[in-house]
Amino acid sequence: MKRVVIVGVGALGSHVAMFLRNIDAKLFAIDDDRVEQRNVTSQFHGKSGVGKLKVQALQQALDFFFRLRIDVSPNRLRDDNAEQLLGGASLVIDCVDNGATRRVIQSYVRRANIPCLHGALAADGSFGRAIWDEQFIVDDESNPGAATCENGEFLPFIAITAAQLALAANVYLKSGVRNGFQISPTRTIVV
Amino acid sequence: METQLNQAIAQAALNAGARVNVTWRSMNGDLPDPVRVDATDAELRAMITEAVRTGSVPGIAADPRADFTDFVLDRFAPTAVRPYHLIAIRPKTPFGAP
Repeated sequence: MKRVVIVGVGALGSHVAMFLRNIDAKLFAIDDDRVEQRNVTSQFHGKSGVGKLKVQALQQALDFFFRLRIDVSPNRLRDDNAEQLLGGASLVIDCVDNGATRRVIQSYVRRANIPCLHGALAADGSFGRAIWDEQFIVDDESNPGAATCENGEFLPFIAITAAQLALAANVYLKSGVRNGFQISPTRTIVV
Repeated sequence: METQLNQAIAQAALNAGARVNVTWRSMNGDLPDPVRVDATDAELRAMITEAVRTGSVPGIAADPRADFTDFVLDRFAPTAVRPYHLIAIRPKTPFGAP
């Protein structure tokens, strides 16, 4: 069975997992973060998940709503565990929030020749991307630690970006075609 | 034969120039005319800034204070589903799971 690894299950990743619930593949989610109260407005994590590990909360939510069983790892992805966590994946979907971890993912998938789709959002919720690794350049924050699209105002746009990521993954898993997207609230273009 | 055809398609795409896609303040549009594929980043930034400031990009309201200094320029080669060169200027996207 194919194995799809989602790294980071916050705003984008938690919705990507939810949108990929019907694919013919085993989902594996990686995240070492915990659900905070402020996450509930923009992520696929409910109030009952506050305080739990995000992967645990997601695992329980998908089981509760859809009877979907996913595998999880509550670890931070690093160079020294990338082989263990990403090795053998049919597809890696990067939904992390920092350049350092994106570089760990990019370095490993290129070495191991694993297809990788990167999901990314602008800080103000004005723009999103679903980009295949061969076209992806890591953007670092202009102002590290700046507030991100945390309040619920951006939830619809986050969900659109997550849906485009899931769509790109779905098409790839079915046909091998790699379509990437650049997404703004008024238009989506194929790249 | 197939190689020659692919070369011809690539040359045609090159001759046609690049489409320039612009994202500014949640709005998105293309420059009305294609640009040279080998235009420099500085040339493109100047051209795009002027176009947005004067309201010449369909889909983007004129903004005299438009500034693309901190934006990223991506260049995409033609693909089967997009048979033309694409240059896109966009905000940085460092986040996925805030």
